[in-house]
Amino acid sequence: MGPNTQMPQSSSSSNAQGGDGNGDERKDDNSRFECNICLDTARDAVVSLCGHLFCWPCLVQWLDTRPNRQLCPVCKSAIDKDKVIPIYGRGGDNKDPREKIPPRPQGQRSEASSGGFPGFQWGDGNGNVQFSLGIGIFPFTMFSSLFTFGGERQGPDGQPQVDPNSAQPGSRQHQEEQFLSNTFMAIGFLFLFWLLTL
Amino acid sequence: MDSCSRRLMKELQQLSTEPPTGIICSRDIASDDLKQWRVEVVGAPGTLYEGERFTLQFRFSPQYPFSSPEVMFVGQNIPAHPHVYSNGHICLSILADDWTPALSVQSVCLSIISMLSSAKEKKHPIDDAIYVRTCNKNPNKTRWWFHDDTV
Repeated sequence: MGPNTQMPQSSSSSNAQGGDGNGDERKDDNSRFECNICLDTARDAVVSLCGHLFCWPCLVQWLDTRPNRQLCPVCKSAIDKDKVIPIYGRGGDNKDPREKIPPRPQGQRSEASSGGFPGFQWGDGNGNVQFSLGIGIFPFTMFSSLFTFGGERQGPDGQPQVDPNSAQPGSRQHQEEQFLSNTFMAIGFLFLFWLLTL
Repeated sequence: MDSCSRRLMKELQQLSTEPPTGIICSRDIASDDLKQWRVEVVGAPGTLYEGERFTLQFRFSPQYPFSSPEVMFVGQNIPAHPHVYSNGHICLSILADDWTPALSVQSVCLSIISMLSSAKEKKHPIDDAIYVRTCNKNPNKTRWWFHDDTV
């Protein structure tokens, strides 16, 4: 009987909540996409990395109000004008938002990778990015990266060869292995150089 | 209509259709072209201010919601609270440095009710006499120092 005696109270409160809930549901359909600042449906909508929706003009105005405290108005997470994601719905208005305020940042697209080594994706285009690690720890590292750069140029199609049994590209172990092999290669080259100059 | 008035209209509409517990919206809540509101708040049950009614006055600048509203207690009953001066000025961070445009009249009222609720004794701040004699009429002109997060 315990739960039953509680029933009227809980049902009345849930009724009240339910009533509110229904209203909220209908309202939510509209308010879900309202800007957190002007409370209108967001136009030129952007979403912060913390997930909060704003009109781009509203957000810019707020961030300009406090240039040295760039905080999300809703959750006070640090935000950046350049690090918001624009939302493109189906219907867009034809007005150019750039008339008065800085343009909304572009969405960031990345092409789907075709190769099986996503770890190398960022190193492929410009060669030896991954070898920046360790300069200054060991004097030979500078040479090693130079030499490796040359070595990689000579590779069959610019793709570094990766043994499937070796460490995952991009992982810490992989980097360490690379570092070690580079170092030994540098020592080898220096030894050769020393031999030649004798 | 400018964006400030649009937003105030929306807030007024929402607050008067579904006011949260402890907030009472009288019919003449807003006056002076929406730029000045009076909202009644009721002390929460089980607190020192249980059942007491206080009137809050909001004044909005044309920069609202990018600048904080000017909020103070008005009327006969001004709560004796460690963060409320006897002239009605309130020391509350969201009304000054921590204001964000995502806050609203409703959230400010709820914060103030919550601030009242956590009071352990009914008394005005220590520097009440000095502050009330020397302060500006506009509480937003005071440089507040927020040192006590417990109440």
